[in-house]
Amino acid sequence: MEHKIINGISIPLTEAEISARLVDEATWSEGAFGRSMANLRQKRNALLSSTDYLALSDNTLSSTTATYRQALRDITEGLTTKDEVEAVVFPTKE
Amino acid sequence: MALVKLNNQSISEVTALPAVVPIGSQVLLSTATASASASLSFNSTYINSDYLVYKFEFINCHPATDNVSFTFNFSIDNGSNYNVVKTTTSFVSNHDENDSGNNFGYQDFDLAQSTDYQILARLVGTEADDNVSGSMTLFNPSSTTYVKHFTSTTNNVLSISPPSTEEMFISGYGNTTSAVNAIQFKMSSGNIDAGVIKLYGIN
Repeated sequence: MEHKIINGISIPLTEAEISARLVDEATWSEGAFGRSMANLRQKRNALLSSTDYLALSDNTLSSTTATYRQALRDITEGLTTKDEVEAVVFPTKE
Repeated sequence: MALVKLNNQSISEVTALPAVVPIGSQVLLSTATASASASLSFNSTYINSDYLVYKFEFINCHPATDNVSFTFNFSIDNGSNYNVVKTTTSFVSNHDENDSGNNFGYQDFDLAQSTDYQILARLVGTEADDNVSGSMTLFNPSSTTYVKHFTSTTNNVLSISPPSTEEMFISGYGNTTSAVNAIQFKMSSGNIDAGVIKLYGIN
């Protein structure tokens, strides 16, 4: 039985609440790809930021670091499904 | 009453304290235990003018659906509608289990004059040991003069690869001068499979 807890007491959901819940869950499912891409970009951006200091104008960027940073920038290319996003393997910083 | 001596083993014979002994001002009002529950709510039975501050403790809240957010909303009609306009701010700190990355900064889990449910933790997973725990404080909900400030801190195991610990800081206000008299916690999709929320009143 679908129920909610109010003040610690279990109460069955009404038909209207069950219907509204189905709509909410469909909307949530539709946004899965967008959320997974947002999470991927957040982690990618953090990793890029952690090497930003190596790309300052008074420093010569090594080819391995340049390759690493480019791979991070390219990591979202070609992704079209949530499963593809979740299967992404991040490049390793040498 | 006979004098009871403490012997570092037990004070179980103490059944009452004199009025002059301070016993604290945080009072447990209600405990809600989820068991495949759609939501956990508290209404005007507890959220009223009895206390100036209300504190919620989230303990091992475990979702039925993977990768969901733990959320809340306010009500000004005793739970008939959970749709109070809110403006909020958020930042997070996280760290991977395998030490491959970490992050700290402002994150886009905020609301701007929105009636949406506010995220308190994200990417909560369904592994057997996954859960979110934390707390939230709500200030003077019965005021009919001021907006309704709240602050929240949660910690969660991010259900991603590699798993990470994430502390999420959310604060903001319900932008209403009507009394807030109910609050609802739920996952963004699916049930709260297990977990406890304790509600305290603080004078």
